[in-house]
Amino acid sequence: MTENYRDSSTAGSSNFLYNSNPSRLFTIDVLRGIAILGILLISIWEFGGYSSNEQLGLQLTKKGSDYYLFTLMQMLVEGKMRGILSLVFGAGILLFLSKPNHPNLPLNQELYIRKQMWLIAFGLINALVLLWPGDILYHYGIVGILLFPFLRLSKKGLLIAAMFATAIYCGKMYWNYSDDKTKLKKYKAVLLVEDRIKKDSGVRHRKDSSTGILAEALRKNDSIGMKKDTLTKKQKEEKGAWESLTKNIKYDSTNAAEKAEKKKLSGGYSAIWNHLLQRTQYKESMWLYQIGVWDIASFMLLGMALFSFGFFSNNYSKTRYLIIALVGILLGIFLTYIRIKLSHIKMPDYEKYINKHVVAPNQFFPLERVVMVIGYISLVLWFVRINFLNWLWNIFAAVGKLAFTNYLMQTVICTLFFYGYGFGYFGRLSLKELYFFVAEIWLVQSVFSIVWLRYYEYGPAEWLWRCLISAKRISNKKIN
Amino acid sequence: MDTIPFINNPAPVAQANRIKSIDSIRGFALLGILLMNIPGFGINWSYFQTILNGPHNTQDYYTEAAVDIFFEGTMRGLFSMLFGAGMVLFLQGKKELPDGPTVAELYFRRLLWLVMFGVINAYVLLWGGDILYFYGLCGMLLYVFRKTSPKWLLVLGLVCLATMAFKGQLGYNELREKRKEYKLAIQAEKQKQKLTPEQHQAIEEWNSIEKRNVPDTARTNRHNTKMHAGYTTIFEYFIPRNAGGESYGMYQWAIWDCLGMMLIGMALFSWGYFSNKLSTSTYTMGLLIGYGIGIPIGVIMFTKARMLPHAEFGAFIDRYRVDFWSLYDVRRLLLTLGHASLLMLAFRTKIFSGLMKALSNVGQMAFTNYLMQSIICTLFFYGYGLGYYDKLKFHQIYYVAFSVWIFQLFFSAIWLHYFRFGPFEWLWRSLTYWKRQPFVKEKIVTANTDN
Repeated sequence: MTENYRDSSTAGSSNFLYNSNPSRLFTIDVLRGIAILGILLISIWEFGGYSSNEQLGLQLTKKGSDYYLFTLMQMLVEGKMRGILSLVFGAGILLFLSKPNHPNLPLNQELYIRKQMWLIAFGLINALVLLWPGDILYHYGIVGILLFPFLRLSKKGLLIAAMFATAIYCGKMYWNYSDDKTKLKKYKAVLLVEDRIKKDSGVRHRKDSSTGILAEALRKNDSIGMKKDTLTKKQKEEKGAWESLTKNIKYDSTNAAEKAEKKKLSGGYSAIWNHLLQRTQYKESMWLYQIGVWDIASFMLLGMALFSFGFFSNNYSKTRYLIIALVGILLGIFLTYIRIKLSHIKMPDYEKYINKHVVAPNQFFPLERVVMVIGYISLVLWFVRINFLNWLWNIFAAVGKLAFTNYLMQTVICTLFFYGYGFGYFGRLSLKELYFFVAEIWLVQSVFSIVWLRYYEYGPAEWLWRCLISAKRISNKKIN
Repeated sequence: MDTIPFINNPAPVAQANRIKSIDSIRGFALLGILLMNIPGFGINWSYFQTILNGPHNTQDYYTEAAVDIFFEGTMRGLFSMLFGAGMVLFLQGKKELPDGPTVAELYFRRLLWLVMFGVINAYVLLWGGDILYFYGLCGMLLYVFRKTSPKWLLVLGLVCLATMAFKGQLGYNELREKRKEYKLAIQAEKQKQKLTPEQHQAIEEWNSIEKRNVPDTARTNRHNTKMHAGYTTIFEYFIPRNAGGESYGMYQWAIWDCLGMMLIGMALFSWGYFSNKLSTSTYTMGLLIGYGIGIPIGVIMFTKARMLPHAEFGAFIDRYRVDFWSLYDVRRLLLTLGHASLLMLAFRTKIFSGLMKALSNVGQMAFTNYLMQSIICTLFFYGYGLGYYDKLKFHQIYYVAFSVWIFQLFFSAIWLHYFRFGPFEWLWRSLTYWKRQPFVKEKIVTANTDN
């Protein structure tokens, strides 16, 4: 915790959006825009009611265009877009704190904490008022505060911290898998006991009929008869634990759970609120504690480290970005391929899978995400560097500048389109239709962002956020 | 707070600048908290049911009544209040330096380390009732309120406590709803109607709720066996429990409980309540109102809600629309105020100056003493130590608590004679400033070095 001054030189991008405001980094906005739009590719499953059971069913068929589309999403998108978003958020922490202090406002550090506190509040609104249980703003707010003390860590220190967090995240995957293994072991032990009880009662029965001795007399004399002939409460619990575990990951062709879910989500606002409350609370407490904090912190720390290394300010040579991109993406695809392969073995019969495999399919998911995310961002940075597809990066940058607005807007659009108090399309669209809808939202958000930025400096939600942070009304006029 | 001189960091607060009255109250709260924690360390929770449903003329019963009416929750309350006050002190007592970590960074580092210590206290020292973790996280939320006016702090604190009461009432309403459905199902059963699956479920659900209030010997024994086992068994046994508390417990309950009292503590501190600045009549008023209303509410809660025989549970639910537990924080707040006022008056009279000095020593080493309570009590009660878990009678575990008190009173006095901080305070400080702090006391304490 010694380094006081860090290299925060901003890229001298010659882009039209960035002449006005040097404290923004074009590359970071581009990446944020990509992540915000990309995140919808996965969250649409939950928004639109493409249930995990349906996903299972699709994966078991192993054919058809839907299957390939879905697998492609799993391989290239799932977890990666959120990874980019967290990573860019981490970079943004240092960007925000390395700016010179504003003369009329409190210290940046104070503003930073306020920013996080308001983010938590917005996250709660997003989850509990707009009814999106998949919200991440709340989590980002909290983890952002927890990482505040790390801001003076050296580049290397940040990198080590990031690796440490990733290691714990991987460790959690292993731990969860060993829990499952223990459950299976106990379940099998209970089955053996149950078997013995059945046999015992069979033996007793035979003795009864052949000798004609009263059952009660037998129970007194015979050691077999003395044994308890039912499972204890604990044994029943152990049996149930495994059964409910497998039930949740097994394909149910009756689709009973989905039908119930669809019915719930077609209700009115208060019915849906009640239904989603438990899920939201779980996500904001248990999930955050057990997985979320490591998941998010690992990427944020990585983003902070990369920012310190000048990764986003194009500090490296072109070829280096290209090499990192290729290595990262190829390694990521290799890991993701293994994960999908293993999960296809796990799906039909988890018990068999556990007997044969030391690790769970998602054991290296955290690692896969990291390398893939680094690959993606390097590729984008390379493209920006060689001025290829400039128009596209400008669109993403505009979306990224309005990331907060666009994120909340996705919730508003999707809940109103899918939930019962809106148009009620929950669970009624096929996978392809869902992705058509995603494309529509992308179009709307891109156009909206570009047009909005023509007239205003900040997006509407960003503006509100800034006003709340500095506790005064800020002008949103375009600075020229 | 113009009476608190500014000190440049990273110099710790010099002896002369500590507010003695705050240390005394903190010491009082620190010792007092053991009254509530000792059953958690040393006795199975089913013991409460046995006491409350048993004869009322036993020592156990009187002990339980006294602890429940006068102290339950109030020491945690006082401790939270002082934690809030301490945060204000920490943030106000320091000037920003041109380079090096800002006060904000020190503040958040300090709290992140506290969270770590809390995790260690729960998972390594195996104290399932740890509060440091919660204080660390709640403290982080206090930062933005450090300049809020005391009036607003009070309002915010009360809103937090009211939120808890509201949530409690919602839970109670649900309970009443279940009871209603159960009664309808029972009625239908009596009239020989065929029950729907929902009605069967309603009956089952209510029965399982009632069962929870009846002592379950099998469960008690299973728990005790675990507690008498070795370290690894207890360690594993505590993992889900600690995880649940630190995630779900934090989210649903602790955040309101701790934050509410901390905010009120910050308000009271700003008004000078803990630093001996108000008039004697104000403290007397605080005492009279606090105890005068708090104790009767405590008695009502004890006799109505706590003392409820499990056989009458259903009838109780039928009778009362309002949850008696929603009075919990009203009582807690009033009694906490009463305790604080009493201590301030005692501090003022100077008759008890010896005791106050002793308490102030304990308070200066509050962090050490808190962790030490975990170490002593787990080693005394758990299986890998002396293994007295659930072997003493309820009133007897308080002898253990009193022994710990006496030990800590002496230990703190002797320690502070030689050293500037308690051992864990020193460690915590060194970690926060990321620099080894001076440890041994110099002969002459310079009053305000300002450097």
